[in-house]
Amino acid sequence: MKYLILGASAAGLSAAGAIRRHDPRGEITVLSRDSQIYSRCLLPDVLAGKRGAASTCFITEDFMQKNRLNWAAGSIAARLLPEEKAVVADNGDKLYYDKLLIATGASSILPPVENIRRGRQIYGLRNLDDVSAIAGAAENCLQAVIMGGGLVGVDAAAALNEKGLSVTVVEVADRILSLQLDQKAAGRYEALFRDRGIEIITGEMVSKIVLDKKENVAGVQLKGGRLIPCGLVVAATGVKPDISFLEGTAVEVGRGIRVNEYQETSYPDIYAAGDVCESMETFTGKITTTPIWSLAVMQGKIAGTNMAGVRRKAAGNFAYKNSMTFFGLAAVSFGLPEAPDSSYETYILERAGSYEKIIIKDGRLKGAILQGDISRAGVLGALIREDYPVKVAPDKLFDLNYACFFRELENGEFTYQDEALTSK
Amino acid sequence: MMMKRIFIKPELCEGCKNCQVACLAEHSPSRSVWFVNLSDQSSQPRNYVELNNEGRPVPLSCRQCDEPECVSACVSGALQRDPATCLVVHNQKQCAGCWMCVMSCPYGMILPDARESKIAVKCDFCADRGTPRCVEACPTGAISLIEAPSPDTDGEYYVLTGGEQQ
Ligand SMILES: Cc1cc2nc3c(=O)[nH]c(=O)nc-3n(C[C@H](O)[C@H](O)[C@H](O)COP(=O)(O)OP(=O)(O)OC[C@H]3O[C@@H](n4cnc5c(N)ncnc54)[C@H](O)[C@@H]3O)c2cc1C
Ligand code: SF4
Ligand code: SF4
Repeated sequence: MKYLILGASAAGLSAAGAIRRHDPRGEITVLSRDSQIYSRCLLPDVLAGKRGAASTCFITEDFMQKNRLNWAAGSIAARLLPEEKAVVADNGDKLYYDKLLIATGASSILPPVENIRRGRQIYGLRNLDDVSAIAGAAENCLQAVIMGGGLVGVDAAAALNEKGLSVTVVEVADRILSLQLDQKAAGRYEALFRDRGIEIITGEMVSKIVLDKKENVAGVQLKGGRLIPCGLVVAATGVKPDISFLEGTAVEVGRGIRVNEYQETSYPDIYAAGDVCESMETFTGKITTTPIWSLAVMQGKIAGTNMAGVRRKAAGNFAYKNSMTFFGLAAVSFGLPEAPDSSYETYILERAGSYEKIIIKDGRLKGAILQGDISRAGVLGALIREDYPVKVAPDKLFDLNYACFFRELENGEFTYQDEALTSK
Repeated sequence: MMMKRIFIKPELCEGCKNCQVACLAEHSPSRSVWFVNLSDQSSQPRNYVELNNEGRPVPLSCRQCDEPECVSACVSGALQRDPATCLVVHNQKQCAGCWMCVMSCPYGMILPDARESKIAVKCDFCADRGTPRCVEACPTGAISLIEAPSPDTDGEYYVLTGGEQQ
């Protein structure tokens, strides 16, 4: 059996490990544009100078060897020929497969802003190359503008601030981290950022990048007219799945590559996993992309297991979870950051520097934010993901812990009880 | 292969917290209950005696899961399941303090370090002792060691529902 995997990151390498576990003899080839194995989530630490590029590697040293993977590093899949069961690489090589996994992840989007493609010091933050490019530009300027106040934008802002640059974040919503946090929790981060000298502008957008005669970035112009001088722009306004090489094929694509619960695409023997695919997401019950690390790993393992002939369904495909920490303040959020209407109840507790919020509908948890003390996060996340009925007095909600749900299997592992929890 | 796991019998627990004190001491510089500095947060127990909704104490600790969700969530590779011992080990040097694991353990058994909140802290099964110190310290038998069958693979992904095998 010949396996071909496109992408050498969370999804691709988890799949490779799973294939090898179930098929000791098959030939596994991994093709990746990345020429180094690294965790994208650690790029902000590299940019801040807190971690060397070498220690972003998330696999063990012997992973490639132990799993006997042929790794074509620094090689790009240019075209898929599904009828021939082959992928054409950018160097013209044709690689044939029996089973193919597409795990090419996603790339940063450049929003439609005047001069954004012409200016020289405009970067996304997605690849290790982006970090060297941003760090290089940061050497030659004092001010940076971050377009987008989502997780990646805020990560970039904190990192460049630690490098000593003067940083401005421009966010179109009324607050930073608007998809993850409510007004109060986002506001606490905004205050922390402002204390550190980071400027946060909300409800605004960049309308134009101002360039000098040599197309160097000189500043950005906001829609409201304000001009902010800067020598570097980081575009953190979202990502799009890397699927250009699928053009002209019959593989079904929406925002990402459509897959079922076995990570199978619409085309026989082609699988997809991670940021590149869209699948049935547990919290919303809708087909969406699921761009988080843990799901890329889970989906990669499921894809690899099925590719090797062992049928196994993905489960727990819950994308509405976020963890973060900025300037020493930690936060975790799940599900809805705000109650959408009055059929939801919201409970808030503030204690010893922590902000905690739980949103409930019909006796089930629909959202939670923990900022400061995040020690109860895991249990709340499990209850939300499993849509587990929780009937406890509101004053007990914030002390929910696994003791309330304790059930042990014969082998000593934990599980959740199937009966509803009712307080006595 | 067979692995060792801490088995919990909550009905025997008296809530004395001896297990927590033992863990605290074991992970303090002196390893001694006598000398442990209770105001120094760098000595932090990795097990928890919590009250359930009936007000009864339940001694809890990491399960060293067969398919640990904390490992699937770890963005740095700091958490790995060691196929030789079936233990889920945490490499503090590699840890990035991103809290993906804290968010992902369904039982709340891995937490930020109490002193600086920079890296995650979890049960290491007292890897350099024969028997975890909490088990030795329990006077009632509420926590004891069992042998359990476990897959000798690296941590595979794990979900609450166990994934469905067809
Ligand atoms: C700055 C930053 C911080 C993040 N922080 C977090 C976090 O804290 N928590 C979290 O859950 N998630 C975080 N994420 C998201 C997380 O990194 C992704 O969900 C995860 O990397 C997805 O893994 P993947 O394997 O699907 O794709 P990717 O990691 O995007 O990897 C894609 C792979 O495919 C290769 N590739 C792409 N196109 C081609 C091609 N045409 N031919 C060959 N190879 C190709 C790439 O080189 C790469 O090897 C962060 C992302 C960024 C950018
Ligand atoms: S920390 Fe949680 S998920 Fe990880 S092994 Fe322990 S109990 Fe399992
Ligand atoms: S906090 Fe450390 S151990 Fe936990 S997921 Fe992040 S890097 Fe891994």
